[in-house]
Amino acid sequence: MPVNIIVCVKQILDPEIPSRDFRVDAEQREAVRGAANLVTNIFCENALETALQLKEKSGGKITVISYGADSTEDALRKALAMKADAAIHILNDGQAHPDPLSVAQVLAAAIRKLGEFDVVMLGRESGDWGVGQTAGLLAEELGVAAVAFVDKVEIGADGLQLKRQTDVGYERVAATMPLVISITNDEHNVPRIPKTRDVMMSFRQPLTKWTLEDLGVNAAEVRAGNHYYAVVDLFIPVQELNCEFVDGDTLEARVEKFAQRIIEVTGSM
Amino acid sequence: MDYTLSEEQEQLRRLVEEFVGRDAKPYLDKHGREDFPWPLFRKLGELGLAAIPFPLAYGGGGLDYRCYALVLEELSRLGTALGSALAVHGLPQLILAKFGNEEQKQKYLPAMARAELLGAFALTEPHAGSDAQAIKTRAELRGDSYVLNGQKIWITHGGEADVYLVMAVTEKGLGAKGISAFIVEKGAPGLSFGKRERPMGLPHHTREVFFDDCVIPQANLVGNAGDGFKVAMTALDSGRITIAATSIGLAQQALDYALSYTLERTAFGKHIAEFQGIQFMLADMAAAVEAARCVMRKAAYLRDSGLPFNLEASMAKLLATDAAMKVTTDAVQIYGGYGTSEDYPVQELMREAKISQIVEGTNQIQRMVIARELLKKLRQ
Ligand SMILES: Cc1cc2nc3c(=O)[nH]c(=O)nc-3n(C[C@H](O)[C@H](O)[C@H](O)COP(=O)(O)OP(=O)(O)OC[C@H]3O[C@@H](n4cnc5c(N)ncnc54)[C@H](O)[C@@H]3O)c2cc1C
Repeated sequence: MPVNIIVCVKQILDPEIPSRDFRVDAEQREAVRGAANLVTNIFCENALETALQLKEKSGGKITVISYGADSTEDALRKALAMKADAAIHILNDGQAHPDPLSVAQVLAAAIRKLGEFDVVMLGRESGDWGVGQTAGLLAEELGVAAVAFVDKVEIGADGLQLKRQTDVGYERVAATMPLVISITNDEHNVPRIPKTRDVMMSFRQPLTKWTLEDLGVNAAEVRAGNHYYAVVDLFIPVQELNCEFVDGDTLEARVEKFAQRIIEVTGSM
Repeated sequence: MDYTLSEEQEQLRRLVEEFVGRDAKPYLDKHGREDFPWPLFRKLGELGLAAIPFPLAYGGGGLDYRCYALVLEELSRLGTALGSALAVHGLPQLILAKFGNEEQKQKYLPAMARAELLGAFALTEPHAGSDAQAIKTRAELRGDSYVLNGQKIWITHGGEADVYLVMAVTEKGLGAKGISAFIVEKGAPGLSFGKRERPMGLPHHTREVFFDDCVIPQANLVGNAGDGFKVAMTALDSGRITIAATSIGLAQQALDYALSYTLERTAFGKHIAEFQGIQFMLADMAAAVEAARCVMRKAAYLRDSGLPFNLEASMAKLLATDAAMKVTTDAVQIYGGYGTSEDYPVQELMREAKISQIVEGTNQIQRMVIARELLKKLRQ
C-alpha cells in the first residue's frame, strides 16, 4: 500500500560544536552563530530516515517541508540527496524567533495546500531549543491524531503499527491514517549518508518555494508570532566546582564524615 | 578561478565529514591501523566516493579534480590512512580509464568504482625508487601469455589488492622505452607477497610483491608495449595532486588540534594562546596550509580545464607535504610533552606527514620536475 508521507525538517546551528565555542547573545536571547555550520536537526533526519525505510517497503512518496531562512535550502537539498521525492521551502523572511505554534500553523497551511497525505513525520524536538511542541500542535492544526516518541513505523492491517518509547519501556500502537508522528532516535533510524551522485543530482532537482502569502495565511500575524511562549532569559550556566577533602584518622571516620557532608550539602540544595 | 566552495562542493564535503565522524573515525579508533580497513573501503564505494573523477560510463563519479581533492582533503582529517588508500586506488583507475582498451575498462572500472575490487600501483623495486627507469622486473611474451619475473617493494595494498598495475621491462637496453604496463590480478600463478612492511604511523598497507614465472594473458598489456613508463608518469602527475590534498587535510587537522589546545593549556597563569611565541607558530602554520591549498587547487583547476598542470602539481605536492611536516611537527611542539604521547593524536599525524614527503616522487624529485619544466620553457 503506497503511503503519502510528509516530513517536516528544521535547520539549526550545529549542536556538536565544542562547548568552548558556544556563545549566546543574552540581549537578543539567541545563540551566536560564530563558526558553527548550519545542519539539519538530527531528530528530523531520524524522521526522514524512518520515512525512507517505510517508503522502501510500501512504496509511495515523500515530500519534505521546511519553514526557514534562505539557508534552509541546504537542508532540503540534503533531504533530496537522501532520496526524498520533493522538497518545499517556505521562506521565513523575518520572523526572528518562530514559536512552535506559528511554525505549526505555517506547516499546516502548506500541508493543506499540498492536499492529501497519509502521515506527517517530524523530529521529536529540535537540537537548538528542544521545545518539542511542533508535532502535537501541527496535529491539532490539521485535526488529526498524533503519536509522539515513535522509533519504529510499519504497515499494519488497516493503518500503521507504531512502536513508541515511554519512560518505562515502549508501547505498540495501531494507528489509522492520516496522522502526525514525532520520531525519536533508535538504532534502526540512524540517518543514511547520501551518495555522491545523489548529492550532485539534488542540485538539479526542482525545489518548490512558497512565501507565507502563497499559503494564504495572514503573514503579518505569523511574523508577529504567538505570545503564549516567550524566551525570558538565555544564559550558559556556570558550573561551580568545589573540591573538599574529608579527613579523619580511620577509614570509618572518613566515610562517616563523608556521608555527613553529603547529607549537609544535598540538604541545603 | 574561484577560491570558495560551491554549494555542491560544500554538500560533498559534508557527506565526507559525516562519513568520517560517523563511520571512519569510530572504526579506526576501535580497530587501529593494523589491518586494511575493508569495511570502510567498501563503504566508500557505496557512497560513490571510490571513483570520483573517473568516467560516469564506467560507474565513476564523473566529477572534476577539484571535487576529488576536496574529498581527499576532508577524508585525511583522520590522518592519511583512508585518503591515501583512495589516492592509490585511483592510480590504476586513472591508467585504465586513460590507456586501457574497452574490454579492460569494462572488466575493472565499474567494480573498482563500487569498491568491490581494490587497486594497486607497482613501480618501485629494491634498487629502483626515484630512478624508476632502472626497474628490472621482466615481462616476456611466450605464446599468448606474458611471463613476469622480478620483485617490487613498498607496494601499497600489496597482498590486499585485487588488481595490480605493474610496470615491467619488455625490451632490455631501451631504458624508459623498454617498459610496459600490465594488469596482474591477485591469484595469478607465480604472484606472491612478502610480509607487511611497517611504515611509520602505519597509514599505508605495503608489501613486497614477487613475480616468479608469473603468467598473465597477453590481453593484460595496457596501452602499447613500450608505453609503460609514460603510463606510470602520467598517473603520478595526477597522483601528486591527490597526495597534496591528503597532506593538506592532515595538516589542517593538526592545526585545528593545536589551535584548540592553546586555549586549553595554561602556563605562567595564562592560556598558552596568549604567548606571542605560540601565536606566531599558529600564524605560520595557518599560512603554510592555506598557501599549499591554493597551489593544490590551482593544479586541480588547470587539470580540470585541460591545461598543462605538471609544474603546479609538483609544486603542490612539494609545498603541501612540506607544510604538513612543518605544521604537524609544530603541533607536537605546541602540545609539549603530551604531544609526543601516543594518547594524543598529533604525533601520529606527524609520523604520517613524513611519509608523504617520500611517496609518489620524493620532494627532491619534485624539485627536479619543477626545474625541468622551468628550464624547458626558457629553452623553448
Ligand atoms: C609508505 C610507502 C608507500 C609506497 N607505496 C608505493 C606504491 O604503492 N607503489 C610504488 O611503486 N611505490 C611505492 N612506494 C615507493 C616510493 O615511491 C619510493 O620510496 C620513492 O619513490 C623513493 O624511492 P626510494 O625509496 O628508492 O629512494 P631513493 O630513490 O633511493 O632515494 C634516496 C634519497 O635520494 C634522493 N634522491 C634520489 N635521486 C635524486 C636526485 N637525482 N637528486 C637529488 N636527490 C635524489 C631521494 O630524494 C631520497 O632522499 C611507497 C613508499 C612508501 C614509504
